[in-house]
Amino acid sequence: MRIHVAHALLRAVSRLLSTLLFTAAALPATTYYLTVTGLGGEPDYEQHFAMWAKDIDKALKPTPDSKVETLVNATREQVRASLAAIGSQAKAQDAMVLMLIGHGSFDGYEYKINLPGPDLTASELATLLDRIPATRQLVVDMTSSSGGAIEFLRKPNRVVIAATKNGTEKNATIFARYWVEALNDPAADSDKNEVVSALEAFRFADKKTAAFYEQQNRLATEHAVLEDTGKGEGVRVPSPENGEGMLAAQFPLLRIGSAAAAAKDPAKIELLAKKDELEQQIDKLKYEKAAIPPDEYKKQLGALLLELARTQEEIDK
Amino acid sequence: MRLLPAILCAAAGLTAQTAAQTPAPTLDRAESLWKQHRFEESKAVFEALIAAHPRNAQLRVRFGRLFLERFNAPEAAKLFNEALAIEPKQADALLGLAQVAADGFEAQAAHFAKQALKADPHMVAAQELLARLALEDNDPVKAAEEAHKALDMSANAVQAKAVLATIDWLNDKPASPWDPHDGAAYETAARIFVLNRRYEEGIQLFRKAIALQPGLWSAHSQLGVNLMRLGREEEARTELEMCFENHYRDAATVNTLRLMDSYKNFVTYKTDRTVLRLQKKEAELLHPYFEAEMLRALNAYDKKYGYHLDRPVQVEVYPDHEDFAVRTMGMPGLGALGVTFGYVVAMDSPSGRPPGTFHWASTMWHELSHVYVLNMTNFRVPRWFTEGLAVHEETAVSPEWGDRLDPHVIMALKDKKLLPVAELDRGFVRPTYPAQVVVSYFQAGRICDFINREWGWPKLLAMIHDFAGGASTPEVIEKEFGIKPEEFDKRFMTALNAETQKTVEGFDDWRKGLKKVAEEYKAQDYEDMIRDGSGIRDTYPDFVEAGNVYQFLADAYLAKGAKQAAIAVLERYAKAGGRSPDTLKQLATLLEEAGNREEAASVLDRLNYIQPIDEDLHRRLGDLWLSLGNTDGAIREYHAVLAKSPTDPAASHFSLAKAYRAANRPDDAKDELLLSLEAAPGFRPAQKMLLELSK
Repeated sequence: MRIHVAHALLRAVSRLLSTLLFTAAALPATTYYLTVTGLGGEPDYEQHFAMWAKDIDKALKPTPDSKVETLVNATREQVRASLAAIGSQAKAQDAMVLMLIGHGSFDGYEYKINLPGPDLTASELATLLDRIPATRQLVVDMTSSSGGAIEFLRKPNRVVIAATKNGTEKNATIFARYWVEALNDPAADSDKNEVVSALEAFRFADKKTAAFYEQQNRLATEHAVLEDTGKGEGVRVPSPENGEGMLAAQFPLLRIGSAAAAAKDPAKIELLAKKDELEQQIDKLKYEKAAIPPDEYKKQLGALLLELARTQEEIDK
Repeated sequence: MRLLPAILCAAAGLTAQTAAQTPAPTLDRAESLWKQHRFEESKAVFEALIAAHPRNAQLRVRFGRLFLERFNAPEAAKLFNEALAIEPKQADALLGLAQVAADGFEAQAAHFAKQALKADPHMVAAQELLARLALEDNDPVKAAEEAHKALDMSANAVQAKAVLATIDWLNDKPASPWDPHDGAAYETAARIFVLNRRYEEGIQLFRKAIALQPGLWSAHSQLGVNLMRLGREEEARTELEMCFENHYRDAATVNTLRLMDSYKNFVTYKTDRTVLRLQKKEAELLHPYFEAEMLRALNAYDKKYGYHLDRPVQVEVYPDHEDFAVRTMGMPGLGALGVTFGYVVAMDSPSGRPPGTFHWASTMWHELSHVYVLNMTNFRVPRWFTEGLAVHEETAVSPEWGDRLDPHVIMALKDKKLLPVAELDRGFVRPTYPAQVVVSYFQAGRICDFINREWGWPKLLAMIHDFAGGASTPEVIEKEFGIKPEEFDKRFMTALNAETQKTVEGFDDWRKGLKKVAEEYKAQDYEDMIRDGSGIRDTYPDFVEAGNVYQFLADAYLAKGAKQAAIAVLERYAKAGGRSPDTLKQLATLLEEAGNREEAASVLDRLNYIQPIDEDLHRRLGDLWLSLGNTDGAIREYHAVLAKSPTDPAASHFSLAKAYRAANRPDDAKDELLLSLEAAPGFRPAQKMLLELSK
């Protein structure tokens, strides 16, 4: 029961933020994507890291209002230069997404991503990101030991995703493979609103990573976590109970349809309002599910969903 | 401050008093504590004695005996070996090693027993052990000889009497003149009956042992374990808990109790012919596949064996191999993948094995064949025959099933290590080299293939009935084929050599060739890879494990853009029994891209028998079957997607809705649409279908 309440709350906040997002979408906001791959150490890793980065690049390039840059086998200087360049262009209403692929290390004090030449520490990375004016930021650190970077990177309005729960999970990770899949598989858009949020991508990649180890009958050596409150340790399962995931749910990582276009059409404002109201009723009904006889619940849900489908049909005309 | 001297004085007095009261560490003291079940104290005394007398071999032997009794065979063996290092002909130490080896079904057991007898020709226990070992090896003639030798040494050799009586009882002569009337001796007989898979009679003998000696906890424990094997869990638990409470906590007792506790995490599905026990976390997914396959196998075997089982068969599927291993504890040469106890089959779950290494359906058909053969013969069948028939059945269902000719078998063929048919049981019970159990399975299977090919299935059925009548392997061979077992061996080996000669003789060159292909792969010399890989492929076509030539060739063809050639070579891989999910999925993708959806679906369906715990597999196969009009198949696959909380629940329910709609089941389709839209109310394709179905 407590979970239902929590989910209903999350959805309510989601809708509120969604409205804000549509408002923000009306502004000429840009999302800056920077993908960095580090040293592979072995041809197999080099090849995979480059391939994943290339696939991310390919998935993001068609995204409107975006600037996509990919650095394969990057040096520290190249990363610094790219982040500085973004810092000089980005505005407060923009968004910044940094994705790190490779091997990382953690010595108990400091996390580093392994790059050709000098490595880059999490604290320096945090300083570089702090200089970027874009208010909304997402850092996806997919290296080994990446959990060790969270304490340096976390900040209000910044979502931090790490492939490992702490700095001591040192084995090479597979999370990046499924993060790439999240950007390419419509299944990642679990609520089917044509936007893959950071939270949806995280959940998709995490689930696939866990399935990988299960199918291989291997002990999982990585456990991805998410932190978006600016003060937490990173959690395996973001939820209203632990306060994590709210920001990530509203961080559009990839738009895969024309959802935003309808929001801009004044002729459809009334229909959109009706749609929003129906969605609220559905959420409320779902919240009350346990207290309603199953047949009655099904009947009410069916009626609301049918009405919602009809409204959507009108919006799509 | 003033208290301290007083405390010190009191402590000093106490120490002096304790020292005065503690008896000096002597062997008698250690033995006495042992008898009182004060094992830790006994252990401490032994340790003190050994520290004081490091060159005393007898002390180490007795200490080793304590460990052996308290379920620590490795520590016991260590102490026996230490004793032998001090006194190389220490007969008790040699006997101890023989017993450790015998408990582990190791071939060295007889060797150590003989050594013990050499060191002490009057050692009755060593002679009795030789008799028991011969009977365990299914050699009653030798067992009787050895038992009589023991009785010549001592007329009260109850274990020798147990062996002689067991020979009579195994031959259905209940009134044996050798009846030992002794608890431990009945326990020995019971264990031999269990080894012969005659669990019911074994249970009766354990009961007799306990009736005579109620404190014989080893017999209580084995009674519990065997009751559980036959599915009588309530009584099993009572026996095992009694052992536990009385401090008899060997691995079999503790692990079996633990396993029984874990049954709360299992779900049981029943039909009039089947009882299927699955772990909750995978039950919903596996249930339709396992139950359908059980029923298919039972129906097929009913006809094939001309026998109808009089009660449902229970199949237990363990995702944790350790749980499954508990079921086979104390059994020799068994338990790799599945095991049968009368009407109960225990087997690994596909989730308990690395993907591609386990064909669960093949294992299930193998085990269910045992159910028929064991029941038809009332458990009077040599191991080699029931295993051979079960192996034969695997490839009889489909040539792609069953185990392949593996390198161990090739080496055994090369070194002429196959056993005569009359002695083949030895290869299962007490292997003399590590791969002998695997080699024996292969040999037994090929013998049954050979009989089926040369004389036909009715001959194999006739053999089942002969064994049921109590005939031995040599008698059955002579009766059914009119030749001596030696002649049978000769003919079988001629046929087997003809089948395997190319692989066996070319094995070394094939190995070198495969290494060369692997190097060419690294260097991306695709032309050379194709030439060299094609050259060695047919020398050893059964090699489908990781690093097989089919995969190398497919990669080379794909690198050159020759998709059809890649498909052809991967189809050969599948036909040869290749089971790698990744490779088979790759083949399915290539077939689909080439427009051959039927074949693609067939390849993916094959994976359902290998690694069904794969969301992607079920989704792809569901889509293919839906597009091919196989709506029932699609419904099953989409249900499988939903069975294990899919990555995309909305899309998964929608797929199932589509399949129901195609199957003309609009109400079911609507239900699934609601579930899809409940997860994602704005899911456009689902909304569209809902509108269509609501018109």
